Amino acid sequence: MIRLNNKLIALGASVIASTLLTTSAFAATESKTEAAPAGIYKATKDALDGGVTYKRSNGSYTAYKVNEQSTKGVNFGRAPTPNELKAWDVDIMPDGTGLPEGSGTAEEGSELYDKDCAVCHGEFGAGGKGYPTLTGGTLESLKNQRTCPGKDAPNRTIGSYWPQASTLIWYIRDAMPYAHPKSYTPNQLYAMTAYLLAENGVKIDGKDITELNKENFKKIVMPNRNGFYPNIDGPKGVENVRAFYKDPKNFGAVTGTRCMTNCGKESVAKIANEITAVVPPYTTVRDLPKEDASKGAASSPAAKAYEKSCAVCHKTDSMGAPAVGAKAAWAKAMEKGMDKVNHNAINGVGGMPPKGGAMNLSDDEVKDIVKYMVESSK
Amino acid sequence: MSKISENNLETTTNKAEQSSRREFFKRTAAYSVSAIAAANILAPAKLLADDENIIHHTEWGTTLGDELNKYPYGIPSAYEHNVVRRTSALLSSAGDMHAAVSMTPLHELEGIITPNGLHFTRTHNGVAHIDPNKFRLMIHGLVEKPIVLTLEQLKKYPAESRLLFLECPANGAAEWKGPQFNSLQFVKGMMSNAEWTGVRLKTILDEIGLKPTAKWMLAEGSDGSEMSRTIPIEKVLDDAMIVWAQNGEALRPEQGYPVRLMLPGWEANLCVKYLKRLEFGTEPWYCKEETSKYTALMPSGKAIQHFYPLEVNSIITNPCPEKPWSDLKKGDLVEVEGIAWSGHGTITAVDISFDGGDNYVKASLKGLVLPKSWTRFSYMYKYEGKPLLMQSRAVDDAGYVQPSITQEKAIMGLEGVYHRNSICTWEVRQDGSVHNVQVRTDNCPK
Repeated sequence: MIRLNNKLIALGASVIASTLLTTSAFAATESKTEAAPAGIYKATKDALDGGVTYKRSNGSYTAYKVNEQSTKGVNFGRAPTPNELKAWDVDIMPDGTGLPEGSGTAEEGSELYDKDCAVCHGEFGAGGKGYPTLTGGTLESLKNQRTCPGKDAPNRTIGSYWPQASTLIWYIRDAMPYAHPKSYTPNQLYAMTAYLLAENGVKIDGKDITELNKENFKKIVMPNRNGFYPNIDGPKGVENVRAFYKDPKNFGAVTGTRCMTNCGKESVAKIANEITAVVPPYTTVRDLPKEDASKGAASSPAAKAYEKSCAVCHKTDSMGAPAVGAKAAWAKAMEKGMDKVNHNAINGVGGMPPKGGAMNLSDDEVKDIVKYMVESSK
Repeated sequence: MSKISENNLETTTNKAEQSSRREFFKRTAAYSVSAIAAANILAPAKLLADDENIIHHTEWGTTLGDELNKYPYGIPSAYEHNVVRRTSALLSSAGDMHAAVSMTPLHELEGIITPNGLHFTRTHNGVAHIDPNKFRLMIHGLVEKPIVLTLEQLKKYPAESRLLFLECPANGAAEWKGPQFNSLQFVKGMMSNAEWTGVRLKTILDEIGLKPTAKWMLAEGSDGSEMSRTIPIEKVLDDAMIVWAQNGEALRPEQGYPVRLMLPGWEANLCVKYLKRLEFGTEPWYCKEETSKYTALMPSGKAIQHFYPLEVNSIITNPCPEKPWSDLKKGDLVEVEGIAWSGHGTITAVDISFDGGDNYVKASLKGLVLPKSWTRFSYMYKYEGKPLLMQSRAVDDAGYVQPSITQEKAIMGLEGVYHRNSICTWEVRQDGSVHNVQVRTDNCPK
């Protein structure tokens, strides 16, 4: 019971009440616990993400052998030119680094939106087409939890969720419109961003956004700017991340001994409405795929039978048999007429046994194969 | 054979000798028939029916097979055509399959290597097809010597190979509020495990000189979505790689051909595909996929940003809904098998429960046990023909224990979407069929 209490503490105070209900049922029974076994590799729990790191030593990294010779002096590639850097180093950061020269109005953006975006994101960004909803969310909605059927979901939109406006203009420039990304001019980019921010009720200095340019863009503060943690900004950013991962409670992790017996029973939730719409449909059957109609035409029964029973000798002339596709050889064979060629194929000729040894074939099947071979050699 | 017989007959002129040979054959045949009859009489009353597959010659045993190099790049047996990735329109926008996800058929995999054609795929703007001759990688920002590399130049750097899992942080996201899919493929198929080959990023940085002020790295893709993410330098210098090979061959286009970033144990989304540019800086970039998405919204209404590691996890692969125990008889001894993995380190133990988590037994790990890689576990179980609630619970060398659903949702709530690593349950029914259920305590009043 002491250990169970420890587990409850690790879970955080908010759930103790509900968890106690389940633990009280087996409080009388002694439960067995097991400590986490040591790992098979020497590890140090010092990783930024709350995990372990492994050293490279004595030519090994965990189970891997590694080359410990110096790589100093391995130096391929060349310096980028100033124009190359200008072409590629165009990311847009929260401080405005990378913002292009230009300007655009929300009104212009509205027209562009109707033409390029509404088909997926809905009128005024209201969604409904299956693609992300861009407008209409509220910060209050972010606390919504669908713990019961019928409860509302959090509404994560640009205005209610995105912490930085730079993300929006950068993303639109690189990745939108969906089917032809990177097609907007800087002015169109500002227009579209202005429209979407205005639709989301984002303001600059308390005023509605009507036009955006490089200068006023930097003044935008998104409504959910402080909705995220750990704080990754500034000189302490990385250390804040490290501190966050130091505490397993922060990300729902469980540590320590684990219960092995009489751990308690909980209820069983079954699938209410199974999602069965998967492509291709579920099956574990092992059979031959159904013939593709288009492929079937290209591979007639005669062609298949030829591959199976005749090609071993007739594919090339190395066996002394006329090769399929060798026009001269087949023209010579056909001088005596089709009947004679069929007769030879059925009864054997020269080094060829009757039906090429494929006695399972009927005479008519052999004739079909001969026809296929002759047709393929014209 | 027939020719030799003919020759024998031609050279044999003595008719009497021929006749005596025929008698011999007849006698032998008669003996054979009576021997079979005798065996039938002596056999127990319940004689097994003959298996036609054994009694008769097979088609493949009596015909010529394909020419050996008919498929210069080999393909699986035609009979395996149902072993494929699967998609669901419900895991996409309006059924659009350019920004969607395909699931690995975990129920058909053996060992810890996912064949390249079955590796799960997530794209944000379709699968890009990059001309390797036009590929360039730029590394710049807070480095002493910024560089541009061609693919051939990149591949000249000393290479290392690692077996690593890649998992979409949204693996199992449909299941936060309750079970939805009745298949292993859709419950956990947004992950795969492969041997990745490339150069450690540290090897390149040691040469081009990372400036001490650098704290973050931007990794940017070159596809239509220009997928990008911010990564802390500490990870870059620990075990990050730039990889160009997957299970011994070039990356598949679905996995980022020709080059992707590999951050062992971290969200697959951070392992940027179609890699184009790495920039080093002092401040994080706030990319779209680390703000709008891939952030975990908590019950407080605030969200975790920069949520990197995929925490300790496991799943039973045999049995599973697609591979039930319907053909087992009471008393059969059968192997329970599964996969465990942790982005925090190496798997140290896996426990199995048959009663929905009330009691656990220890499974054995088997095969290679490697950091940040799938690890197989095994338990021999005597099937009693009774209903079961089967679970697996993994432990790693960072000391993390896979949480129950109740434990995980107590902290994470139900709307976080990402990093769901709580224990899964397969319900084995009386008839041996297997169903996805969840053992959980919910607070919704009935």
